[in-house]
Amino acid sequence: MTRTHRLRTAALIAPALGLALTACSAGSAPPQETFQAQPGVLQIYSSQHRNVTEAWASGFTARTGIRTQVREGQDSSMGQMIVAEGEASPADVFLTENSPAMTVVERAGLLAPVAATTHGQLSEGLAPSSGLWTPIAARSTVLVYNPAQISADELPSSIMDLASPEWAGRWGGAPGGADFQAIVAGMLAERGESETAAWLKALADNAEVYQNNIATMNAVNAGQVPIGIMYHYYWYRDQAGTKEGSANTALHYFGGQDPGAFVSLSAGGVLASSDMSAEAQQFLAYITSPEGQRILVESGSMEYAVGAGVESDPALPPLAGLYAPVVDPSALNSETVVSLMTDAGIL
Amino acid sequence: MSEVVLRGVTAGYGGEEVLSEVDLTVREGTTTAVLGGSGSGKTTLLRVIAGFLPPRSGTVAVGGSPVVGPGTWVPPERRGVAYVRQDGALFPHLSVAGNIAFGLPRPRRRHRERVLELLDLVDLPASMADRRPDQLSGGQQQRVALARALAPGPALVLLDEPFSSLDATLRAATREATARALKGAGATAILVTHDQEEALSIADEVAILAAGRFRQVGRPEVVYREPVDTGVATFLGDTVLLPGTAAHGQVECRLGRLPVSGPQPGGLVEVMIRPEQISLTAATAGALDATVGRVTYFGHDALVELVLADPAGVSPLRARVMGPQAPAPGDRVGVSVQGPVRTFPDRRTNPPVATVSG
Amino acid sequence: MQASSRAPGGVLLLATAVAALTVLPLLGVVANALSAGTQLAADYLFRPRVGELLGNTALLVGATVPATVVVGAIAAWLVERTDLPGAGVWRGLLLAPLAVPAFVSAYAWVTVAPELTGFTGAALVTSMAYFPFVFLPAAALLRALDGGDEEAARSLGLSPAAAVMRTVLPRLRPALSGGALLVTLHLLAEYGVLEMMRFQTFTTAIMQRYAVGFSDASGSLLASVLLGLCLLALVAEVLARGRRRVAQVGAGAPRRPAPARLGAWTAPALAFLTALVSASLLVPIVTVIRWLVAAPSGAGPVGAHLAQVTISTLGLALLGAAAATTAALPGAWLLARHHSARTLLLERATYLASALPGVVVGLALVTLSVRWARPMYQTVGLIVVAYAILFLPRAMVSLRAGLAASRPELAEAARSLGLGGGATFRRVVLPLIGPSVLTGMVLVALAVGTELTATLLLAPTGTDTLALAFWREASELDYAAAAPYAAVMVALSAPLTILLRRQIVEVP
Repeated sequence: MTRTHRLRTAALIAPALGLALTACSAGSAPPQETFQAQPGVLQIYSSQHRNVTEAWASGFTARTGIRTQVREGQDSSMGQMIVAEGEASPADVFLTENSPAMTVVERAGLLAPVAATTHGQLSEGLAPSSGLWTPIAARSTVLVYNPAQISADELPSSIMDLASPEWAGRWGGAPGGADFQAIVAGMLAERGESETAAWLKALADNAEVYQNNIATMNAVNAGQVPIGIMYHYYWYRDQAGTKEGSANTALHYFGGQDPGAFVSLSAGGVLASSDMSAEAQQFLAYITSPEGQRILVESGSMEYAVGAGVESDPALPPLAGLYAPVVDPSALNSETVVSLMTDAGIL
Repeated sequence: MSEVVLRGVTAGYGGEEVLSEVDLTVREGTTTAVLGGSGSGKTTLLRVIAGFLPPRSGTVAVGGSPVVGPGTWVPPERRGVAYVRQDGALFPHLSVAGNIAFGLPRPRRRHRERVLELLDLVDLPASMADRRPDQLSGGQQQRVALARALAPGPALVLLDEPFSSLDATLRAATREATARALKGAGATAILVTHDQEEALSIADEVAILAAGRFRQVGRPEVVYREPVDTGVATFLGDTVLLPGTAAHGQVECRLGRLPVSGPQPGGLVEVMIRPEQISLTAATAGALDATVGRVTYFGHDALVELVLADPAGVSPLRARVMGPQAPAPGDRVGVSVQGPVRTFPDRRTNPPVATVSG
Repeated sequence: MQASSRAPGGVLLLATAVAALTVLPLLGVVANALSAGTQLAADYLFRPRVGELLGNTALLVGATVPATVVVGAIAAWLVERTDLPGAGVWRGLLLAPLAVPAFVSAYAWVTVAPELTGFTGAALVTSMAYFPFVFLPAAALLRALDGGDEEAARSLGLSPAAAVMRTVLPRLRPALSGGALLVTLHLLAEYGVLEMMRFQTFTTAIMQRYAVGFSDASGSLLASVLLGLCLLALVAEVLARGRRRVAQVGAGAPRRPAPARLGAWTAPALAFLTALVSASLLVPIVTVIRWLVAAPSGAGPVGAHLAQVTISTLGLALLGAAAATTAALPGAWLLARHHSARTLLLERATYLASALPGVVVGLALVTLSVRWARPMYQTVGLIVVAYAILFLPRAMVSLRAGLAASRPELAEAARSLGLGGGATFRRVVLPLIGPSVLTGMVLVALAVGTELTATLLLAPTGTDTLALAFWREASELDYAAAAPYAAVMVALSAPLTILLRRQIVEVP
């Protein structure tokens, strides 16, 4: 090959090689480039929002001196992964966004009971009956709508109304995500299988499917669809920020213990197989303590705090006033939801 | 440069046997041309000597030391045997100088003098040293390949049909330059070819290879004038064959009573005459008159087909005459044979072992 | 006469091991799919939803593949066989879309034209992103073709157009069918574009299934169907390619035919190409720049993280390239030097591997490692294995070209000049293979750097790549935050265009 040819090839590869070599030798490699559970460090498997988890972890380390290592993932797949890892799982603590992912692990018998004192820090009535995990944050289902396209009095009074033909093509959600599946799990617990199945069928036939809650909100904002079902905090976060995704929207809370007012709990649990169970319990106690809950509120995630006496962000309507349906979180069955969604043709 | 001796070499591929018990001696500083048709085993022979094909039996010795034999196997890179292929096989990523200096030990690789010396030896200008192989013509590539082979001073140079891919005009010039270079370097060389003109013109010895065996080995003029059988004879050039009867050192045949050279079988024989031995005289009314048929004119000479009044078993009678003496078709001429002829046992009663095909 | 030496046993073993590795995902997926029992499998597969996915896939393939073939062929014709002004520039511009990952293209189109979603959006974006797969081989072929056939046809009385139709088009068939196959396989494996365009196909469904069920049987069932479709595409291409000889028959130096004159067609041709380049190249690049510029302050933390992510992406890319090249070496060497009936099997296995979508390989390796090779699970080693499997065919192509350049006769010549095995390798084989190997490695590295689906499934937590970071931001519709990652991916892929241009211009 000619020399110019060789020079050109070299010119193309040299920068890439150079960068890569710096990568190998650079001391500033990203932390945890390969995930290896370090002994003596508390292993936290979390599908909660990254900034909240990291804030909790660093706060905990600052207070107790115990080092932590966070592994991120998605709700259901992380729950399933822990079940698949079984007794050999290196996880000490599991934090979720929605509780159904936690109940999967609960049912596999992999959780250790949470210390009673931890539960004592919570607002009343939130703890699950089994006592095997603790709520760490809460979020409410909401209906987001575009006032330019639909007025407040035209809105459905119950989320179940959306199954009727008149709403065909006029509402949307993100059924592929764990968030929505939690809402459906609540619906299942409240209204039973046949009603839920019918509602899901209507969703499959008549509703717009979006990638996730943010996409749903954006679609409503853009006027693509007048109504969307999602969780409250996306709206408040956007409103506190640039308002790009929600300027043309308003929220409607179903209330009246309707399934559409379902409040989903983010969960925290300690793995029975953990070799640092004392530290793990401490961690859970920390995040449900007033300090931990304040960290949640100050993080800007706009989720509801669950600690007794801790005020959530002032922009949010008080949790008690939402009249959420009373559902035993341990009764939420995500597997049934998935199979119902599969039958309906959504998944 | 060294002597090369092969003894009893048998070699082949898979189930085939291509060479059978061949013996060959190439004296130091000489060039032997191995002449044979396709499939005769020429390339196999070279590959055995070079070390790229282990023989099934036999020995090969270069410069007195065995390189192949029972219990001996010297790898190609340590034999000191250079191999020049038909396509030259120059390294495309190196210049001409780089190619030529390739086999030299590292300190000497830098020295231009040796490269220029070799370029001169193969009759190429010094300006060629920095060119790339793909910028050279076929003939130039062959010469560079030869220079490359000669540079490390090998004991033996093997050339595998080196000129067959060149067109006719280049061939002669490249051939001459190669012969001069080999002589100039005092090289021992084996050149393999299917072209008899090539073999006869540049070799010190010619070895005829047919069906895995050497039929005849000797000086070019000897092999040409005294072929060991009609097969070799026809392979090396035009022949005129006719039946005859041996009679006390001479042979009686249609073209008269002719002196015989070489072995003289008795009884019925086959007489071989070369066309250049037949000369044309003025027509006389006698048994050796003929009519001129077709004349093929080559400029410097001409091949004249002649028809005798009574052909009687004579293979096409052709005479080779110098250009100025070429007759015209239809002329009547007299035919006479110059010099002794060769005789072989009659083929009908003694069929030959195998034919040499071109 | 060539010595038919037998292939060395060690190399054969290595090559077979690699081939087995590439077939492993196939087996793993199918085995997992059937693990819940055939009845359950049948129940799961024969549902309207799967029918819907099949229909969508068929629709997308049916629209995009013909579009890319037509567009690619016409563009190649215009650039290589007409007197189009600025042909050299157009050639580079028409290849450039390959440097823009399809999901970046989708991201751009979604912000520029938000109404363009669903089937129309998906078809448009994929056509614009993938037509270079047809353009490249077609242009290379047209460039190398000599005019002898056409002239012969003309002298037999055919009009210029008919001469082209009947002599050039048949010769173009392998290039077009090869390109169409590439497009089909990319479509079947496409995830990012379709997720953004909200057009459900098997890949999006598999990823969805993974999110809820981790590595259960249903995900593998869908993956098995996807695999079936890919294999179908392979078979279809072999049939479409035809068995007719394409190579020049008869001796004589090839001569370039005279370029066709466009005349009045020049303006429409230029307009067509401008539209094509705008849609496929300008829209993504301008959009990315727009979002880059519009980004709010936060450049500090973004910049640091960007550098980190770029470095880890490059690290993974180089590891993947090294792994793929090393894995391809035994097979390529065997195929080049000891081609026989046995080695043909290797070739087939590699061909099969070229059809595996990233999502299937990712899912298979997750499943296999969780069940059978726990220590490997969620490690960098595993994801590098995935890259090696996915991109082995690419490395193999380059290696084979390099080995073809490094003929065995040259090695023999070196040995007869006194060089031992090691020195021969160093001074003759390596310099001749080297450039092709490097090219192959660069191509694989670039593919790894923009890979999304397998990385989503396999990246160890804590490892971030440009594609992952981009996807994360884009999923949250944070377009401004996604822009820097997109920009770096495109910038790093730019050399690809130059390398590929060479494949057309410098005829081997």
